[in-house]
Amino acid sequence: MLSNFAMKQVSDVLWEIPPSYKPGMRVPARIYANRELLQAMDRIVFEQVTNVACLPGIIRYSYAMADAHWGYGFPIGGVAAFDVEKGVISPGGIGFDINCGMRLLRTNLRLGEVKPKVRELVDLLFQLVPAGVGVKGTQRFAETQFEEITKWGVKWCAEHDLAWEDDPSHVEEGGYIKGAEPSKVSGQAKSRGISQFGTLGSGNHYLEIQVVDPARHFDQVLAQHFGIVHEDQVVVMIHCGSRGFGHQIATDYVRNFEGGMKRAGIQVRDRELASLPFNSREGQDYYGAMACAANFAFVNRQVIVQKIREAFGRVFHRDPEALGMHLVYDVCHNIAKVERHTYDGSTVEAIVHRKGATRSFGPGHPDIPPPYRSVGQPVIIGGSMETGSYLLVGTQRAMEETFGSTAHGSGRTMSRTAAKKSIRGHDLQRKMQEKGIYVKAATMDGLAEEAGMAYKDISQVVETMDRAGISKKVVALRPIGNVKG
Amino acid sequence: MPFRFLDNVAIADVAFEARGRTLPALFESCARALTEVMVDRRSVRPRRVERITLTSDSTENLLYDFLTDLIIRKDVESILFKEFLVSLDKSGRKLKCVARGELIDRERHRLRNDVKAVTTHLFGIKRSGKGFSATVVLDI
Repeated sequence: MLSNFAMKQVSDVLWEIPPSYKPGMRVPARIYANRELLQAMDRIVFEQVTNVACLPGIIRYSYAMADAHWGYGFPIGGVAAFDVEKGVISPGGIGFDINCGMRLLRTNLRLGEVKPKVRELVDLLFQLVPAGVGVKGTQRFAETQFEEITKWGVKWCAEHDLAWEDDPSHVEEGGYIKGAEPSKVSGQAKSRGISQFGTLGSGNHYLEIQVVDPARHFDQVLAQHFGIVHEDQVVVMIHCGSRGFGHQIATDYVRNFEGGMKRAGIQVRDRELASLPFNSREGQDYYGAMACAANFAFVNRQVIVQKIREAFGRVFHRDPEALGMHLVYDVCHNIAKVERHTYDGSTVEAIVHRKGATRSFGPGHPDIPPPYRSVGQPVIIGGSMETGSYLLVGTQRAMEETFGSTAHGSGRTMSRTAAKKSIRGHDLQRKMQEKGIYVKAATMDGLAEEAGMAYKDISQVVETMDRAGISKKVVALRPIGNVKG
Repeated sequence: MPFRFLDNVAIADVAFEARGRTLPALFESCARALTEVMVDRRSVRPRRVERITLTSDSTENLLYDFLTDLIIRKDVESILFKEFLVSLDKSGRKLKCVARGELIDRERHRLRNDVKAVTTHLFGIKRSGKGFSATVVLDI
């Protein structure tokens, strides 16, 4: 925690670092955290969130959410909105895994029906959804076909029998970000994308069978709006992104931006903060490429959902439609989007960067699909494999305070090496089995690295955001089966 | 070992420091470290030979591009390498590498993490008393 200068306390869960903290800050930085989270927060988050506050065209504040931790350039858990005319776009403000996100699929099954079949389900899912190092995708495409996928996102899926009718409307932005320009994506990125279509990936990416936690069913009325009608209803959560495709685009453009910044005479405090005016040629090129990666990630999650529907259908010998396997929602948590926001009586058009942060639009927003519009956008927060996840809802207060944004997850507190030293993969697998969670992982080392103890307490993060009023708790979800890449 | 993993540099990712008496030896150490993140190299056989040729505008960028190239080959061709023989031209901006490895075999290879990118965080080559060292942070 910062001790040598005045960090202003705005409320018990909101803190502000004034522009006097370091030369060049254009706006204050705001950190959402209770005292405990703030004290545990890596000091580098304060440096990073204030570095972001120095970037040209930033509006109002540079934000760090309750799950903030060190990231490349921008902190993870960071939000920054830049004026579309005078502001910048930064690959480091979006993250390497462009449109990494969460998707929640519901079923009409209850715990008692699924529990005896979890092992069979997880084993089949592991077989159907490719996961792990260098794994190949489920379909191969010519480059021109692949470009169509990246241009149209879930719309492409809908035209190719890879989506149900109501799927696209239950995905942020309808599963399709306008302005995708495949011509701005390198051949290397396309090759990586083509070979990884429909793959889960590895690291902290997972596919999880979960059950609603009856003890933490916070808002039953809202839960019903989102199709969660039983106290022990089974749902499936997917966490993954744009795979090597998005990473290659980020890699390519961080290098491109360095050249552009030299030419434009822009200096930043950290190489990973590389940024250029949004309306410059390079800025627009990156946005066009980033939108391709975002669309690919939507498609990737969609293709995985189709496999999940297939697996449930096969195991329960019923049509997935009859199992009620509709999307609750799909949210991005590594993205930049052009959005219109109103605050203090004025309306701005901004390129809102959310890196390890989730959109949290409140009731009435036209971008929320009609069935949810009156209550607010579903917000999906993924926790560690052991501790569970949350379904929340966006709020008007988020619209007023944070450009409609909230946290995204729990955030690591222990390095991968330290986690592996603390527990062996097989032991963790056994321990989780004892807790009633059946896990199948591509590698045992990878499993050990994702142990629950390596992560912050997600409940504290969720409570803080709820108390701050920028997202409200709906229901907690407890894992019963997990496929880990 | 000509490389060591650095704890707590990038908590969600993997960082390493590699050393080499010469620049080509440093590049080879980095390639081995990168590979060890993805697979236990002892389980990989040197059955297929790939020749990698790269040019960049600086030695540091050349190292970055070399490691990125190995990541791309893992994703696109499903190949992991066991051995690397690197040579650089006098300018330090042109690389030739003979890499020996094989296609990924999920049964036999002890696979670890899927590395997705090399980051520029702390990335750099330093001259040290006994040669060169490099710090690399990989995005997982």
